[in-house]
Amino acid sequence: MNSNKLTKDQIQKVVLSAMGVVILLYVYFSFFLSPLTRSRQSALTAIKDRQAKLEGSTEAINKATKLEQTAKTATARFAALKALNPEGAPIAWFPPRIKTFFANQKIDKATARLDNTAGAKQSDLPGWMRYNWLIELPQADYSVVGNAIAELENSEPLLAVTKLNIHMLPEQAQFQKIDLAVENIITEKK
Amino acid sequence: MALHLNLLHEEILEQRQRQRDPLKIGIYVLAGIGALLLLYYMWNVYRTLETKSRLSTLNNKWARVEPTVTAAQKRVDELNGVIKATRALDDYIDNRFFWGPFLQKVSECVAPNTQLTGLTGAVLDDNKGVEVSIEGVAAGREPRSVAEDLRQMLIEQLKKAYGDVKVEFKSLEDVDQIAMVGGTHLAMARYTLTISLKVGAKPAASPAPGRGKKK
Repeated sequence: MNSNKLTKDQIQKVVLSAMGVVILLYVYFSFFLSPLTRSRQSALTAIKDRQAKLEGSTEAINKATKLEQTAKTATARFAALKALNPEGAPIAWFPPRIKTFFANQKIDKATARLDNTAGAKQSDLPGWMRYNWLIELPQADYSVVGNAIAELENSEPLLAVTKLNIHMLPEQAQFQKIDLAVENIITEKK
Repeated sequence: MALHLNLLHEEILEQRQRQRDPLKIGIYVLAGIGALLLLYYMWNVYRTLETKSRLSTLNNKWARVEPTVTAAQKRVDELNGVIKATRALDDYIDNRFFWGPFLQKVSECVAPNTQLTGLTGAVLDDNKGVEVSIEGVAAGREPRSVAEDLRQMLIEQLKKAYGDVKVEFKSLEDVDQIAMVGGTHLAMARYTLTISLKVGAKPAASPAPGRGKKK
């Protein structure tokens, strides 16, 4: 009998050992190494994310500081424009303001009524509304009206006259009846 | 040569067979591989723990910085909104059509022998331009030419401040009435002028118009 030749019993043991190795490797990789690797990979991804956020944070803080300095003028101007219109519903303060304004311009009996409202056309003006008003001046002199309109345009920067109608009064040719349609941009105050 | 007799032949054979027992060798190999795998596993555990420790440090650092960053980002958004809104408001203010200077120009064009009876104007949507309609009467030996003079004057004056100025007669007709101007009886014509213009250069601050010409 050749001593190098494996017996049946030995072959069974070799096969058993090989199976043991395979099972060991399977269990090792599937239940030990894989979860560990996954856990490490997710930690590495999170580290990258945090590092990027931390690097970005310095940039964001610097940006905010710089912007704060450069936007000073805009902030002040924005606050000034916002302050042009008082608190409260525009229907409560706009008509009296117009009446007083024209009275100061020596035009009596001015009336203003709200025509309609809509959101501001400009997309950069969220929270601002367009109020369209109809102003009626029943009797005024052309030059006085011209002065008053010029003054109104200069003193109310957020107001624009969109329509103008001047008609001579048949019974008093020196006077005119004036109808104005004006648009006023007003911030919505909550 | 001396003769050797191996009397322990069977025992030696058994010992050799024990030594090369495949199961035993397999167990040794398995144990060896197991030890190597365990070492590799421990090395991986160490690296994972080290990575998690690093992550924990970064998390702590981020937790300290995050409120400041969030506030800074919120402030940046807010400031950008304010800048954009201010720009939009400035555009709105600058692109308004100022009626004061326009009325002044019109009043400067009206001669003593013409009279405006009505003026209707509107700013077209999206500042595409302005359309104005002027109604009036002209008096003179040739009242139509007086009205034409007014039209020419309007073109001349308005072109100084606005672009694409068009002044056209919508109607011009003689009327039977006679006007008395400076003690002279003059024929009259009624006209309707339409003016269309575009706001080019921004006019200077709206000045007060001159004396009205409604006679």
